[in-house]
Amino acid sequence: MLNIVVCIKQVPMVTELPWDEKSGTLRRDLAAGMMNPACKHAVEAALQIKENLGASITVMTMGPPAAEEVLREALAMGADRGVLICDRILAGADTYATSFILASAIRKKCPSFDLILCGAYTSDSETAQVGPQLAEELNMPAAAYAENIEVNSKMLRVRRLVDHFRETLEMELPALVTVSMERYQPRYASFSGLDKAFTRAGISVLNAEKLGISSDDLAGQGSRTRVRKVFIRKAQKGNVMITGAAARAASEFLDRYEGKIGAAIGKSIEAKK
Amino acid sequence: MGIPCPVREMNLQFNPCIKHKLIRNSARHFAETELAPIAAEIDQQRIFPRDAIDKMKALNYFGLQVPEEYGGAALDSISTAIVVEELSRVCAAVGLCVTVHNGVAVYPFLQFADAGQKENYLPQLASGDVIGAFSLTEANAGSDAGSVEMTAVKSGSDYILNGTKIFVTNGGVCDVALIFALTSLPENKLQSSVFIVESKFPGFLRGELEDLCGMRANPVSSLFFEDCRVPEANLLGKLGDGMKIGLATLDNGRIGVAAQALGIAQGAMEAAVKYARERQQFKRPIASQQTIQNYIADMATEIMAARLLLYRACELKDAGAPFGCEASMAKLYCSSVASRVTGLAVQIHGGYGYSKEYDVERYFRDAKVTEIYEGTSEIQRMVIARAILSQSMM
Repeated sequence: MLNIVVCIKQVPMVTELPWDEKSGTLRRDLAAGMMNPACKHAVEAALQIKENLGASITVMTMGPPAAEEVLREALAMGADRGVLICDRILAGADTYATSFILASAIRKKCPSFDLILCGAYTSDSETAQVGPQLAEELNMPAAAYAENIEVNSKMLRVRRLVDHFRETLEMELPALVTVSMERYQPRYASFSGLDKAFTRAGISVLNAEKLGISSDDLAGQGSRTRVRKVFIRKAQKGNVMITGAAARAASEFLDRYEGKIGAAIGKSIEAKK
Repeated sequence: MGIPCPVREMNLQFNPCIKHKLIRNSARHFAETELAPIAAEIDQQRIFPRDAIDKMKALNYFGLQVPEEYGGAALDSISTAIVVEELSRVCAAVGLCVTVHNGVAVYPFLQFADAGQKENYLPQLASGDVIGAFSLTEANAGSDAGSVEMTAVKSGSDYILNGTKIFVTNGGVCDVALIFALTSLPENKLQSSVFIVESKFPGFLRGELEDLCGMRANPVSSLFFEDCRVPEANLLGKLGDGMKIGLATLDNGRIGVAAQALGIAQGAMEAAVKYARERQQFKRPIASQQTIQNYIADMATEIMAARLLLYRACELKDAGAPFGCEASMAKLYCSSVASRVTGLAVQIHGGYGYSKEYDVERYFRDAKVTEIYEGTSEIQRMVIARAILSQSMM
């Protein structure tokens, strides 16, 4: 039976969130949380592997106490047990620190894992880095953006779409795969599953001390990247009314836009004016 | 001092626990994904959405409070109310199917059925393979539930049922219906009893689907019984227990209708808020007009009050305390809030709100019946007043 770890993340339910301008991080406290959509696809992929081959699925997340919600949701879908990594000193961890912490937790709670699945990217920060970095931490092969996973007890075959090419990769287990949202449409959790997620399945909570990690290793000083600036990209549409006699309006139009029109058609129109 | 109030002191959980939150998210996600795209069409075409219902079966929507041993999800009453609320926020007709099945068709089995009846019917009801209905209303027995004219006459080890039931929710699709019929008791007394009647029993006939103002996707119909033979083993509870079973079941059903009304109100308010932000008049969104803001403030306040009243009734029920009076209060208040809020939502939409182009038109039609079925608002006031007056006399 395969031993699968799925790393999931709680993300804000709305996309437009205020951020803390000083730290450059999102104000996650202001939004309701949900399981990151790609992570949900990763859970579904694990469940399908479990249904085909038999597997024990551990779902793991790092976050505030409220992140328990996404673990319960994954348990309701059919995962077997949950691990919540929760400690104030982990707040603000970058992707490097996060993958370091996840690796420590996996070594501690699931040392005999065969396969690690992650969502390909998160809807809040979209770096897509944690999965591959985690594979580096654990020194094992990895494939990102998988749209299909075939697995037997020793080997893994992954199909993925990169740069408009569809490629198939094979690797030995243990390995890490990040799952895209092409296939593996997540199932709905049944209400009896939700009930059992609270009455049957267990969640263990790890803090930094239990992981043997000190604050120096970690977030804040431990994070190697610093967000220098966060801004909202603004796109604006507006109508411009040009009034007056037709000849003068046409002339004004060309005065205003000949540069843009020229750029769009690839040649200057000045001479034809 | 004032009149003693039947509202007992109890700790209200103002913050829902994680489980309730996840149940809400789950039902909301399902409703928005599977029901929102079809809600307007199934309303207009009067279609019972079989595909969506099939998906709901596998997710325990038809065995919300049924114990696990019979294949249910064993949810508490607040969870059940949340599920009905979230379905109705998007599609009240499907919310109606679920709340009638769970609240008044399955619930009496949990409360009054013997071991054999539970064994026979609960697993199928909980899986949704069998859809239930509750049939009390007749042409001359509405608010006056004691005036049932349908008869069940003993014949050997069977009862022979004759009569007509009207306005049966789920009537067009139900596989099992709980039928209230007059039976003769010792000393020539006539009293109603409840029978578990399968649609495949000979003599069970369905009428045409009703063409109703709202909740049109629910197959409401009449049921006709012509010498319909029902085994004695299908008598629910004891002979003559009809009134007792009916009243207890309606107490529970009222929680469901309150939840449904609350969901309709919530959906209408959300639509109105969205529209008020988008709709420009006098060169600014109408949400910037104080009149519209007042409407929205009133809607939000009444919905919050309605929700707390409903969860209060659920909490009493889950605690095993009497909850009939509070269920009536919740049903009375939630349904009147639904009517007011959907009216305001149409008003905020202006002419567009009166058109089928916008969902609030459907919410407006759906809301009205919540003031009528499972006991009219007038009957709820009677129930509440009786509870208050009987206490004050003690």
